[in-house]
Amino acid sequence: MSAVLEVSNLRKSFGGIAAVDGVSFDVREGEILGIIGPNGSGKSTLFNCVLGQLQPTEGEVRVDGRVTTGMRPCDLNRLGVSRTFQLLQVFPQLSVRDNLILAGQEHQGSMASRLFGRADAGLGDAADRMIAFFRLQHLASTQAGSLSYGQQKLLDAAMAFMAGPRLVLLDEPAGGVNLTMLGALRERLQAYHSERKATFVVIEHQMEFVMALCTRVLVLAEGRIIAEGDPQSVRSNPKVIEAYLGH
Amino acid sequence: MSRLGAVVVIAAAIFAVVLPFFLKPFGLYLISMWAVLTVAAIGLNLTLGYAGQVSLAQGAFVGIGAYTVGLLLPIGVPFPIAFVAAGLLCFVVGWILGYPALRVQHHYLAFVTLAFNTLVFLVLRNEEWLTGGTYGINGTPRPTLLGWSTNKPLDFYFLCLGAMVVLAAATWWMLRSPWGRAFVALRENPIRALSLGLDTRRYTLMAFAIGSSLGGLSGALYAPLVQFIEPNSFALGMSFNLLLMVIVGGGGYFFGPFLGALVAVLLPEWMRVTQDYYLMVYAALIMVMMAFCPSGLLGLVDRVGRRLRSGEQGPAAAAFEPQSTPP
Repeated sequence: MSAVLEVSNLRKSFGGIAAVDGVSFDVREGEILGIIGPNGSGKSTLFNCVLGQLQPTEGEVRVDGRVTTGMRPCDLNRLGVSRTFQLLQVFPQLSVRDNLILAGQEHQGSMASRLFGRADAGLGDAADRMIAFFRLQHLASTQAGSLSYGQQKLLDAAMAFMAGPRLVLLDEPAGGVNLTMLGALRERLQAYHSERKATFVVIEHQMEFVMALCTRVLVLAEGRIIAEGDPQSVRSNPKVIEAYLGH
Repeated sequence: MSRLGAVVVIAAAIFAVVLPFFLKPFGLYLISMWAVLTVAAIGLNLTLGYAGQVSLAQGAFVGIGAYTVGLLLPIGVPFPIAFVAAGLLCFVVGWILGYPALRVQHHYLAFVTLAFNTLVFLVLRNEEWLTGGTYGINGTPRPTLLGWSTNKPLDFYFLCLGAMVVLAAATWWMLRSPWGRAFVALRENPIRALSLGLDTRRYTLMAFAIGSSLGGLSGALYAPLVQFIEPNSFALGMSFNLLLMVIVGGGGYFFGPFLGALVAVLLPEWMRVTQDYYLMVYAALIMVMMAFCPSGLLGLVDRVGRRLRSGEQGPAAAAFEPQSTPP
């Protein structure tokens, strides 16, 4: 299968410290790639460099063969790259439905046509389907800020899928979510993946979540890839154990 | 809008049409001033209340609009053209003023806009060849539109009211479109908005430009209303007063500016019964109001309404709640 995302020799330094140090990897179409690593290993910095939130010091990022290094996040999103953040990022004053419409509206026509077009940008039905898919029907009109943390995590993930992206990067989707909601989130992500054949990259600390969801795992430590492979082989890799346990 | 809200709006609209027939000229002047300043406050509410971009320059845009009309009408330019020119000029200047907002936010942006207001004031005061300097511009005529003379206070009030209604309706249209949602996203979480494909630069500039344009259109009515404009009217005091209107009414609430302008225009006049102390009493009232309802009067109404309906807490993150994340 072709690579949706290609990262070549990516490096990001803050002062003299390299948070990401020459990382290269590909993500193939339809794959769920997990990126794990101890705190401070450079996972989020890597994401932010790939997604245009940070300008890499060196290296190149390609999406579907097109160089996207340093491209603005909004332009990347329009190319079909979507993301969630480590910390919750919903719009608390907007309803669940409006959060979802917002997540897709910039893909509908031009800025001018959106001003004179329909209030829901023609996304009302799509938002309702996404709400049903993530089982948030009873909360559709509720302000996002009033939802529980787990429900907001579900909404956050739903927003990332609203524009029908080719590639979704999920930054610690399970962080802070209770076990019941975690199961629901994993199940919805797997369902979305098998239904739409979407490509995911997932950063996660919760090992069980990664092992159950991902088809391949990369392990980062001190800004470098120290192991790569299927979840089982990575789990038993001595380098990974050492990086996590520190001996 | 709830059914109760619709009833209140319709009742207020009927009141706004019927009331002036029972008012003397000064009363008509005051409610005309309310209509005019409401337009400027709607603009500031768009920039600050919805899009979360702090601006202390709205008074300057009212000034630019007022001087545009004050200069164009005496040389024979028809009022509708001068009116549109005032709006367009402020749109362009507002767009340019929006650029600093792409680099700085919050109190830093407040200082940038404050400096701009001072700059406009200095230009109005010092460029005598154009603006008349401290002598200002006298006798800006009230227009005659399609044979309808607005020279009398009652007629001019209806011109101001009509303009306010049309501009408010246009703003409402925009805010209910995807643009309105994008402005709120800009206020609440620009980084997330950017990651969802929103071109936050364009929306920021647009929020400044449209808000400033409404300030200019307000100024275009202000000049023929007061018929004497001079630089001091558009100094920082005007900008602070417009900011007060937005915050007292409820920033981010569509009807906030209407209510805020009503309080800021009429309350000082009602306080005149306290004679020399009226401004002090007015200031004290405003301080008490802000201490007890920092999200403005409509924020208070909203909170009370929610509690009555479901016992739930008020809006999760009203933009002007002091404990919420800064817009």
